[in-house]
Amino acid sequence: MAHEDRAFYDQLAERGVTRRSFLKYCGSVAAMLGLAETMAPTIAGAVEAAAGSKLYPAVWVNGGACTGCTESAAQATYPDIAQIVLDILSLNYIETIMMATGHEADVALFDTAEANEGNFIMIYEGTVMTGLEGNTLRIAGKTGLEYIDEIAPKAAAVIAVGSCAVDGGWVKAAPNPAGGTGISMYLKEKGIATPVINLPTCPVNPEWIVAIIIDALLLGQLADGSILDKLDEYGRPKFIFGQTIHDNCPRRGHFENGEFVYQFGSAEEAKGYCLYPVGCKGPQTQTNCPIVRWNNSVSWCVESGSPCIGCANYNWVDNGAPFLGRMPQVAIGSGPQGGGFNPGVVGAVAGGVVVGALAVHGIGMKAAGRIGEGPATEPMKDYDAKRGAKGGEK
Amino acid sequence: MASKATTSTATPTTTSATPVPISAASGTAVIDPLTRIEGHLRVECSVEGGVITDAWVSGGLYRGMETVLKGRQPADAFYVSQRICGVCPVSHGHGATMAAESALGVTIPNGARIVRNLIEAAEFLHSHVLWFYTLAALDYVDPSKALEADIADTYALAQAAGTSTADFGAVQSKLKTLVEGGQLSIFTNGWFGHPAYAQDMPAELHLIAVAHYLEALEIQAEAARIIAIMGGKFPHFMTSIPGGTSWVPTEEKIDDVLFRFMRVRDWVYNTMIPDTLAIAPFYADALSYGAGTGNFLAWGVFNDPSMEMTKRYLPNGAIFTAQGLKVEDASPDKVLEYVEHSWFKSESGLNPQDGKTEAVDTFPGYDINDKYSWAKAPRYDGKSMEVGPLARMLVAYLRGVAPVKSIVDTALTALGAAGKPEVLVSLLGRVAARNLETAVVADWSVEWVNELIGAIKEGGIAFYEPIEKDAGKGAGMWEAPRGALGHFMNVEGGLISNYQVVTPSTWDISPRDAEGVRGPMEEALIGAPVLDVEKPMEAARIARSFDP
Repeated sequence: MAHEDRAFYDQLAERGVTRRSFLKYCGSVAAMLGLAETMAPTIAGAVEAAAGSKLYPAVWVNGGACTGCTESAAQATYPDIAQIVLDILSLNYIETIMMATGHEADVALFDTAEANEGNFIMIYEGTVMTGLEGNTLRIAGKTGLEYIDEIAPKAAAVIAVGSCAVDGGWVKAAPNPAGGTGISMYLKEKGIATPVINLPTCPVNPEWIVAIIIDALLLGQLADGSILDKLDEYGRPKFIFGQTIHDNCPRRGHFENGEFVYQFGSAEEAKGYCLYPVGCKGPQTQTNCPIVRWNNSVSWCVESGSPCIGCANYNWVDNGAPFLGRMPQVAIGSGPQGGGFNPGVVGAVAGGVVVGALAVHGIGMKAAGRIGEGPATEPMKDYDAKRGAKGGEK
Repeated sequence: MASKATTSTATPTTTSATPVPISAASGTAVIDPLTRIEGHLRVECSVEGGVITDAWVSGGLYRGMETVLKGRQPADAFYVSQRICGVCPVSHGHGATMAAESALGVTIPNGARIVRNLIEAAEFLHSHVLWFYTLAALDYVDPSKALEADIADTYALAQAAGTSTADFGAVQSKLKTLVEGGQLSIFTNGWFGHPAYAQDMPAELHLIAVAHYLEALEIQAEAARIIAIMGGKFPHFMTSIPGGTSWVPTEEKIDDVLFRFMRVRDWVYNTMIPDTLAIAPFYADALSYGAGTGNFLAWGVFNDPSMEMTKRYLPNGAIFTAQGLKVEDASPDKVLEYVEHSWFKSESGLNPQDGKTEAVDTFPGYDINDKYSWAKAPRYDGKSMEVGPLARMLVAYLRGVAPVKSIVDTALTALGAAGKPEVLVSLLGRVAARNLETAVVADWSVEWVNELIGAIKEGGIAFYEPIEKDAGKGAGMWEAPRGALGHFMNVEGGLISNYQVVTPSTWDISPRDAEGVRGPMEEALIGAPVLDVEKPMEAARIARSFDP
């Protein structure tokens, strides 16, 4: 089918998107993908071309989900959700928005897997529910596990969207008997070799789904396998999860100056000071949220005055809570099953006072010429002392 | 269209639908999974002579939220519990925070009250727009019929109906591309040409609705951006904390919020409401079935400065229509939850303040005569209660809330039922109530931004009040877009000792209780027509009308 450039831009224009802003967006996607900005036209071309070619088959399967990741995907920017499902993917099964009902929906799922074996994407949202032999999730008289067993082996790849799909999410938190786990862990246990691309955070940031669709499908990196080389040891794209929130945080300057928010709604918050003392998990959380931001980039957690709660981290509820306390003890180096995985901030995690965190971040700060005995600007505050903070421990 | 791969039965047709045996339909109609809702739901109906005679509704998922929250700090309930629902996380977040504030005896400052109202309003707008167009519209609008529309006539009809126009030609050609390409994507295996679609609804109206279906995706995203500006992101916002909010407004952000609220409000008035009024007459028969139990419950939502549940913008109240259309104050003390037909082993008949949620040790299977759902059966004063926009609109109407009274009366006149609010107790009434509420909330949202600006100008506005207590029992009684929501929290020694949530879905999709009384959705299905037992479109409509 011939690609019609004008029609594509007309469609964008209808949504209030100029050609210029679309190209600018492609530039930021290039940056997100770790590509040179000169790749922007290639990405733009790939998205345009997709609008006129055969759609890549995909199914979106919900496990123990709150539908937050589907909702999040509906907030994607360019391409937005309508373009994704009409111009790029043939999303033949997605419970939340598909037209089909009941049995016909199920048929669409299994037919797609059967007819496109090895050549479709399975997007998985929600926790893999293993409790009560899988009966904690029942669909059409079967367990959610039976759905995975049937569909996943036939997929070219699984994209696990959101922390629930990656490692079980909040459902995995102790002492829940519901038996939640992540899909890569479940597939490994079942000996199913389909590669999994993990996109944690709760919910998944929609721009990351867009980036993966562009990278994997439109730029052909799933077909040649090169996208798998871009994943870290936890199956996460390094270009998204290679830096901490703290690395790119706009409040970082205040952190280094020792300027902190100790109470919500205070004058310090109005000045945009660092949220570390009210529990920010930014230093131990690896995502590019400060760069990509959320909801068409209107804001992100820290900008709204909220500490990062580390929702991209493995077992984020047990490892992150209490969320408004300073960073708690986190198991180090034990991987997806155990806990945190950011040895770079071990001191920060175990330390619990800002001095400790500053010392650990000393490498960068030494380069900036700011470190010596540690910052004199952060003695113990009365506020913290009253709440039982002790130097060096939580 | 001869799809290469993906479909078996879906064949959108531009000619008339294959005739299906009508009115003789009998047997068991099963919808599983019920799509276009949040979550996993099974609907099973007995059909005799084309009418539903009995129904069983089964929730398919148990995730153990209440277990996870035990032993954690009260403030953490906000972050975890909004993960119950990705469509209404704001309401759960507020419910959890209010439960902590109620337990620990704190009243939030005025600034936080207004900010919470604004974030909640944005979620209501987001959720209602998404529900009507993305989740429900395809039950009433057939995209395959839109292919037959004449473009010039479509513009003329849009003008006559007072609804907004779009590039109807482009939308139609997009649909054609999908059909000709043999890949229907999200329309795969739809019930195209189903006889339950209004046969006299013009193709042009189908096309208008499909065009607005696509536009609605952008509007729901715009409403979500408002939440993100004040809450960091959506879904799962970040700024509600016991004692207030962590978001401190700036002039620039307030401007941004106001502009986007006005954009959404304009669209609701120029598109969503006229669409509703244009489509509704073709489904006027839906005023005659789908009523439910006739009992309605609302805890109320959007606080005024008094913070009293009965004085909320959409106030608290309970209605038992068997006693006529009158409203009484509702109290959480009258709620009990039953589990005789649910896959739980914990004690039945407890008030949620000290309730228990413990799953069975071994799964006994699905049995409509015994246990058949992961949902509990909550009862209010012993009655099975419907919750949601219809409950809120009826309560507000009976309590004389001016903008609600005015818009409901206008809509009743348009439906040919002037002065008869009782007709709203039906499938069509439930759909209409949600859309009318959208308009009311859209108006209020703009008022509340101005209230915030006024309060800031006056000076002395605060957004947070620290909490000192570390023990107590409390409840956050509130409303999600889909209905009455209660979070119940007990705190001992600074940690949560018990937590229970009674969600709107639990009320509406409730299975039978200890006495065998059906839940509202089960009851609403009974008496509804079914033209095709294999494709029970009417049952799906009723189930989705609850936005479960």
